[in-house]
Amino acid sequence: MNRLAAATGLVLVVLGLGVFAWKVFGYGMPVVAQDPEGLWRIELSITVRGSGGRGSVRAPLPSAAPGQEIYDESSVSDRLVFAIRTEGSNRIAVWRGQIGDLHDLSYGYRVRLSPSKYALPAEIEAPSRELLRSFGRASGSFPSGAPQIAEVLDKLALPPAEDLPGRLRSIYAFLAHEIAVLEGGSDDALIALANRGGSERGKAALLVSLLRAAGIPARPVLGLELGPGSPRETVWVEAWAGDWLPLSPTGAFFASLPANLLVLRTGALAGVESTGTQALSYRYQSLREHLRADELATLMVPPNPIFTAISLYQLPVPTQSALRTLLLVPLGALILALFRNVIGFQTYGTFMPVLVAFALRQSHLGMGLSMVAGVIGVGVMGRLVLDRLRLLLVPRLSILLCVVVLGVTAFAIIGKGFENRDFFAGVLFPIVILTMLCERFSIAIAEEGMRNALARMGYSLLVIAAVYPVMRNARAEHLMFSFPELIFAVMGCLVWIGGYTGYRLMDLIRFRSFANPNEGSA
Amino acid sequence: MRPIRVWRALREQGVLGINRRNSAYTLRWNPRRFYPNVDDKLRTKDLCRRAGIPTPELLAVAHHHFELRELGPQLARLHDFVLKPAHGAMGKGILVVRGRDGDRFITTGGRPLSLGDLLYHAAGIISGLYALGGQPDFAMVEERLIVHPEMAAIATDGVPDIRVVVYRGVPAMAMTRLPTRLSGGRANIHQGAVAAGIDLGSGRTTSAIYQRRRIREHPDSGEPLLGREIPGFKDLLSIAVRAADETGLGYVGADLVVDERRGPVLLEMNARPGLMVQLANRSGLLPRLRAIDLCAQDGRSVDERLDLGIRIAQAAGAPESSA
Repeated sequence: MNRLAAATGLVLVVLGLGVFAWKVFGYGMPVVAQDPEGLWRIELSITVRGSGGRGSVRAPLPSAAPGQEIYDESSVSDRLVFAIRTEGSNRIAVWRGQIGDLHDLSYGYRVRLSPSKYALPAEIEAPSRELLRSFGRASGSFPSGAPQIAEVLDKLALPPAEDLPGRLRSIYAFLAHEIAVLEGGSDDALIALANRGGSERGKAALLVSLLRAAGIPARPVLGLELGPGSPRETVWVEAWAGDWLPLSPTGAFFASLPANLLVLRTGALAGVESTGTQALSYRYQSLREHLRADELATLMVPPNPIFTAISLYQLPVPTQSALRTLLLVPLGALILALFRNVIGFQTYGTFMPVLVAFALRQSHLGMGLSMVAGVIGVGVMGRLVLDRLRLLLVPRLSILLCVVVLGVTAFAIIGKGFENRDFFAGVLFPIVILTMLCERFSIAIAEEGMRNALARMGYSLLVIAAVYPVMRNARAEHLMFSFPELIFAVMGCLVWIGGYTGYRLMDLIRFRSFANPNEGSA
Repeated sequence: MRPIRVWRALREQGVLGINRRNSAYTLRWNPRRFYPNVDDKLRTKDLCRRAGIPTPELLAVAHHHFELRELGPQLARLHDFVLKPAHGAMGKGILVVRGRDGDRFITTGGRPLSLGDLLYHAAGIISGLYALGGQPDFAMVEERLIVHPEMAAIATDGVPDIRVVVYRGVPAMAMTRLPTRLSGGRANIHQGAVAAGIDLGSGRTTSAIYQRRRIREHPDSGEPLLGREIPGFKDLLSIAVRAADETGLGYVGADLVVDERRGPVLLEMNARPGLMVQLANRSGLLPRLRAIDLCAQDGRSVDERLDLGIRIAQAAGAPESSA
């Protein structure tokens, strides 16, 4: 490589990586998209039926709490009166009115959850009297005064009262190891203890009872477990240690709360309830959400006038999404250059693999490649037929173009028939490039023979397969869009590749006989 | 295959790779403005004719359909000739007439054709039937070359040619490409022609490859392939060098055929000569190109440069030239 090219490449790479490092280390811009984790859209749908009398429906609503943000709330009240009632730290949605035949109610909101961790304090003040009165006394659901409970605590030989973390751990460990969660187990604390197993609620009630008996204020928590499917109502426990610490032997967390748990209600386990109705059904639905463009902008625009002025996050949203995919193309070109000039794969059409990979990024690779192969197959067949007609070049190519367009259209129709959206990706195919590909493939068959032509086609498909994962990688997209200066670094690498005068990998294969002088002599 | 070992071997023997050929030789020594000199075959022919370099004689040209009317009487006067497209590639659209039977033209395949058939073929050529690149094409009628018997002996029905790589006006390496049955009579190594390296000093073949394997005999006829002398090789080198001078290109491949009567004749020039010549000679190009760089100076006569090329080739020495 000549010095000038090496230096130019270095300047570009340093420029690109330098600005990138400045933004990352100077302004703390996240390198990995922060977006996805813990961002949900949740909807509670309730259907009630009544006989025309007055009635009400109540549902717990999540409140803002550490690690839990609620926004964009909306409700549908379907002829009823809607209000939100606050009870302590809980919010309850209430629909009231004449409940006639069917009412479809709903409450939707977005939440942003982040995992929270709590430090166990070394020493804590004694809980206030009010707290002890509300969450330290025995009650029907939490029989902390029962002799069986005292017996368990005796057996556990708890550490002294000053060692609150130690006491919490012993009781937590007892629940975790000795009490199972049983399908259809009892919700009652004492039955769960006697059976050494109960329902999730029964186990939580037992934990609360034991904690209260040990002098630690405790309360149950009703929440939603969010995941790939529909959200599941679940319960866990909070113990007072200067702050409310979440813990659950069932969910295997202690003094921390995973990001997929949403707190609906504390202190009581009542879910959606109604009075004056004949039937009630409800379900939760959840959907993973992305940050809105304006939220993202506040996160991703560093507080520097120059960076702010040139930040792509300031652009209109449709332009942003177009640019997001566009900025991946240089990365694809870099991979292509590597394959062609360092490895030495011959491909058809300089940028064909990048453009085809770009078109395929929404569908499965195998499917996409088969479609490309199919279109080319049809095109080459068409070309063979056209050869007999002995047509002039431009009309011949135009007919080939029509054949390719027909092929892509056929895929769309087949896709409709099989209800497989993957087939629709063909519509995005670079039609003109595929047409030229058919032409060149036919020429290659004539000039270089079928074997070489097919080998070259294989290399082309291989490069498509190599570029494809990058074109659909969300991280790469975030990286290139948030740090477009990386294109300079890509250009620098391309200068280096362009100045690389060493052997290509394929040269080594082609000239390998130079390595052993006697190989293959007849 | 161990890549590192191969890499070292290639470096030691100075094998030229594609990247280096492109950046250090074709990009560096072949200015784009001279490319038409080799890409347009009529232009190459014209340049050579003016410089007194033998090429197959151009007997007639038809650029447009209306010129076919004049082409008819011209063809009628000829005994044997080649009718071919100027921009055709890989031997497509080439019609070789080996003789006459009254009004009939007999092709090499023994097929008798009428004048009308020939003109129809020429019309197809002008229509761009055989032009792959899409440029306007025209029909050329050239003298039919007769392969020198010594060359014909080591090839199977086809025209063997000789490729000379000329760098900065000095011949660097040469090989001959011999058609086989597998290659369908074409002198194309990728399609199965034999390639044999030539010692520049003696004009004799030193080693041969066929389908990536080293061979000693022609795969079809069993004719020995090593130590065969190329007739008129010294003249051939001098033609290649003079033709390279005419094109203005610094790194160029000259393709020649040895005619029975006329001796070596230049067929065409190539601005991006391939690297297969190294395999045919079992020798890397780089030591020779570097030596030429060290010795090259403007104003040397063709003979001086031929001597230089031969001396460099012998110093670089194919390791097994005596094999």
